[in-house]
Amino acid sequence: MKQKIKPKVAFFDLAGCEGDQLQIANLEEKILDLLNLVEVVSFREVMKEHSDDYDIAFIEGSATNDHAEERLKEIRKNADIVVAIGACATIGGVNSIRNKQNHEEVGERVYGDNAELSELYISWEKAKPVDAVIKVDYKIHGCPIDRDEFLHVVESLVVGRVPNIPDYPVCVECKLNENVCAFEREEFCVGPVTRAGCDACCVNEGTRCWGCRGLIDNPNEEAHMEVLEEYGLTPEDVMKEFDLYFTWQKEARENE
Amino acid sequence: MKIIKKDDLDSFVDYLIGSDPREVVGVKERGSKYAFDKLKSSKELRLDYDVTILPPKKYLLPQRETLLKFKSNDKIKTEPVNEVNGRIIVGVHPYDLIAIEQMDRIFSEEPEDPNYLKKREATVLIGVNMKNTSERCFAGSMKTAFTQDGYDLMLTDLGGKYAVEIGTEKGKELLKKSGVALADAGEEDKKMIEEKKRSLTFESKINFEPSDLPELMKSNYDNDKFWEENADNCYSCGTCNLVCPTCYCFDVKDLMEVTLKEGSRIRQWDGCLLEHFAEVAGGENFREERAQRYRHRYMRKGLYLHNRFEDIACVGCGRCSSQCVPDIADPAEIFNKLKEGKI
Ligand code: SF4
Ligand code: SF4
Ligand code: SF4
Ligand code: SF4
Ligand code: SF4
Repeated sequence: MKQKIKPKVAFFDLAGCEGDQLQIANLEEKILDLLNLVEVVSFREVMKEHSDDYDIAFIEGSATNDHAEERLKEIRKNADIVVAIGACATIGGVNSIRNKQNHEEVGERVYGDNAELSELYISWEKAKPVDAVIKVDYKIHGCPIDRDEFLHVVESLVVGRVPNIPDYPVCVECKLNENVCAFEREEFCVGPVTRAGCDACCVNEGTRCWGCRGLIDNPNEEAHMEVLEEYGLTPEDVMKEFDLYFTWQKEARENE
Repeated sequence: MKIIKKDDLDSFVDYLIGSDPREVVGVKERGSKYAFDKLKSSKELRLDYDVTILPPKKYLLPQRETLLKFKSNDKIKTEPVNEVNGRIIVGVHPYDLIAIEQMDRIFSEEPEDPNYLKKREATVLIGVNMKNTSERCFAGSMKTAFTQDGYDLMLTDLGGKYAVEIGTEKGKELLKKSGVALADAGEEDKKMIEEKKRSLTFESKINFEPSDLPELMKSNYDNDKFWEENADNCYSCGTCNLVCPTCYCFDVKDLMEVTLKEGSRIRQWDGCLLEHFAEVAGGENFREERAQRYRHRYMRKGLYLHNRFEDIACVGCGRCSSQCVPDIADPAEIFNKLKEGKI
């Protein structure tokens, strides 16, 4: 296959920990394959240069203020394809935990007595995923993202096919790996409503799924809340299970 | 029928592990459960297990398998892949042996599936009669608790010694080559086997003849209320398909390396409970509703496969039932409720 023009790609970050960009910067030998496919014109994590001429924009982090909104709109204007990477960008991630809490208290907790004065805490009451502000074409889920899945998405976009992102629960991969289910180890798990694609890596390591890849498109949340209660969680703890990663998605679904 | 001492059986297994070129797998502990896995020593083998998380079908139809590799420099070159490593599987319960016989029929249908059949041919099955049964197993009432065929060798624990039934030449050769000490079974031993079989109990059962299932399922296809109520808590997680020894569905995907120079075609287990299973190009989904998908599995188990192969495609292992987190996938419960006309 001959490749004529390499698409230009740029990376941007909003409110997040940059863990996803770090995953990409750490692609090691595969980074060269990647650079054969695309031309990186902007990537703060690894280079100083920046250009506004790009085809594909990868955005990490949540939108939390007007400045982020302006940046996103600018990016949407410049890019043909916008890809949200990592839970903060795809589903609001852990940033959204605060969405249900008192805004001022959150500020005080983070910035102490200086919260009101702090220039740093100019923030909306709610942290939002990128697609709550602009149209997003593709999402690479996870907290952080999976490197192979990132490469798969880039490869798919370059050859012009739709990336293969699972829309079934983590339980599928968990079974393929023949794990003992968390519920049979007297633990809890949100795998039954969480999107697969990570190969159930946390359960493979003997723990459980916390939901970092977000809800599948059509989760049976009611059933899972019922089940969690049957397995002994209080209604409050059931809510906590859903609040770690699903706050934004759940609210959006309730308002549908 | 032969008799082998427990210690000699261990030596036989250790001999296979050490001397046979094939991989030897058997039932081992996995956390609080059991799983078929590579054996390093006969000490790891747990022939007293109740049920494994996944059935041994994973060795014949692996969870993920490469079917084809392709290279695309100037021209596209493809190369079929069919990795076959012979394998000896130790400790297969009768219901799983019966399930493998069903799979053999399915994958031998035209067009044959060479990836399955080659692996099957290169596999030796050493069965074991159940000593313990899992809480949800209802093999007794499905007539799958015992089998006369489908194995190369079949073991029965007689306490301190095992009875060995020889099913095939392959099995006989294996014993012979190992030089393990065998005695002929006497009347006492045979009586003991019968006694063991009689005393095997199951906590779960269907309350009618399995041969009644096709008719029962047919007459309940339109029982919408039943299917909707019972599927209400279904996650569409596919666990009940994936852990089932008679489920054989897979999805095929083409994967490309990021170099864009090579790639592979793989297949991975799929299941009819998953939301997008029956979705076709253009986005049409033939079983969009949870209840439709939920019903489909029971129809397959009790009716559809029977129409094609005269098999009841549920062997009563109870895996679906015990591993479904909301606990709504127990065929014994569903079949009994349908029979009694309950919801
Ligand atoms: S551990 Fe979690 S993801 Fe795995 S099967 Fe159980 S509920 Fe599903
Ligand atoms: S198992 Fe759950 S928490 Fe872990 S990576 Fe996968 S989706 Fe995220
Ligand atoms: S019946 Fe149970 S195991 Fe099967 S898909 Fe539904 S929730 Fe999952
Ligand atoms: S349907 Fe359930 S009980 Fe029947 S064979 Fe499959 S997993 Fe076992
Ligand atoms: S029950 Fe469903 S997944 Fe299993 S073999 Fe039949 S169609 Fe396939």
